[in-house]
Amino acid sequence: MRLQHYLGGLEGLPQPLNLEKRVFVEDWEKRIFGIHVAMMGLSKHLGSALPEYPIDDVPTEFRDEWTWASLRTGAEGMNPFDYFKFRYYEKWLGGISQFFVDQGYVSEEEISAILGAPKAPTAEPGSPAIDDQVIDYLRRGDSPRRDVAHPKFAVGDKVLIADVPAGEHTRLPGYLRTRVGTVTRVFEGDYGYFVHTGDGIGDPMPIYIVEFTPEELWGPRAEPGANALYAELFEAYLQPIEEDQ
Amino acid sequence: MTEQFAYPSDRETSSADRVQALERLLIEKGVITGQTVDKVLAYFESEMTPLNGQKIVVKAWTDPDFAARVVVDTPAALEELDLPEGMAGAEGEHLQAVANVPGVHNLVICTLCSCFPWPVLGLPPYWYKDPVFRARAAREPRTVLAEVGVALPDETEIKVWDSSGHSRWFVIPERPPGTEDFTDEQLMDLVTTESMMGVALAGESA
Repeated sequence: MRLQHYLGGLEGLPQPLNLEKRVFVEDWEKRIFGIHVAMMGLSKHLGSALPEYPIDDVPTEFRDEWTWASLRTGAEGMNPFDYFKFRYYEKWLGGISQFFVDQGYVSEEEISAILGAPKAPTAEPGSPAIDDQVIDYLRRGDSPRRDVAHPKFAVGDKVLIADVPAGEHTRLPGYLRTRVGTVTRVFEGDYGYFVHTGDGIGDPMPIYIVEFTPEELWGPRAEPGANALYAELFEAYLQPIEEDQ
Repeated sequence: MTEQFAYPSDRETSSADRVQALERLLIEKGVITGQTVDKVLAYFESEMTPLNGQKIVVKAWTDPDFAARVVVDTPAALEELDLPEGMAGAEGEHLQAVANVPGVHNLVICTLCSCFPWPVLGLPPYWYKDPVFRARAAREPRTVLAEVGVALPDETEIKVWDSSGHSRWFVIPERPPGTEDFTDEQLMDLVTTESMMGVALAGESA
């Protein structure tokens, strides 16, 4: 099991909570955010996205797929103590620079050689068509919705949340596993996921909203009061309740 | 174990140097251009900001029919408004609004990562990505809300939405009392990013 998947409901954490309202707390964080968005906007999988981006015609040297799944897989696959130690964009920087090294775009030697060097004037402006594709992706997106759904469950059904073996990446929060909830909404359409995670999602399938009571999730240690938790779950994570057993 | 929990003394400068070197190499190698990162940042600084969310909320406060529509088919309702092109773009492909009403308070979280409605609210503030917030809000939302200044009556139901699927959620907060004579601009000033995620009330800073 990975601690990152079981974050929801973890106890013993500091309080009271203080809200850090800044989006970036160091200027450098903006640069890695921008690089990540560029990679998503240039990802090869966008050729088969719904807007049918002309991705093969974009004059970039980027030749891989890069999606939220890439970043999430990296974060969920980390040493869990590092996950909690490092700030959000520190994790991004680690994962993204490692990707570019692993895929052979840059080498550690090349990075080391210019560390701390003054910002170099860019000789080549680069093709504006690269930037146009990135902004076009931001405006038109990458919807995972595909076919007409044939959902197995209906509003009002009680469902048991599966306890499927998790790989490095999942969209099933750990605290919901083996719990029983009630379907409150069936979304129209089927929804794919960027990758096959190995725990059942990837191909288009229905998505549901499932309602859980705090008592079901947390037992006698549930917070008193009229609370309800709603999760959006892929059909692969739901199982029927066997009645009268 | 000490190394596991110690930070390098040059923590920020080494990250700043590394990202600068990486961006420079990616430009030199033709992966991105010298303008790409700046253009991405400008997109979020100029167009996809919480101003869009503020407009949506104020429209809902001043037009009951819109308020009824926006929680049913959020993307269709947003098309009626004068918002930048791209509300259904990246991280806005499947927007879903939920409305606070007397007796019901909504709170949006993402326990697995940091799913956030970019076109409506811009980029997520740090508190939303904080593992402590994500962990605690799932289990003890009432306590967490009280700690950040949202003391709800015991009988108020708290609905917590964990963004584990395709939707990107945001909250239409309740219009504060005593604002009947406010202009739209005055009303917009009451609406914060925090109030549109449910960790603050409109008109009160979190």
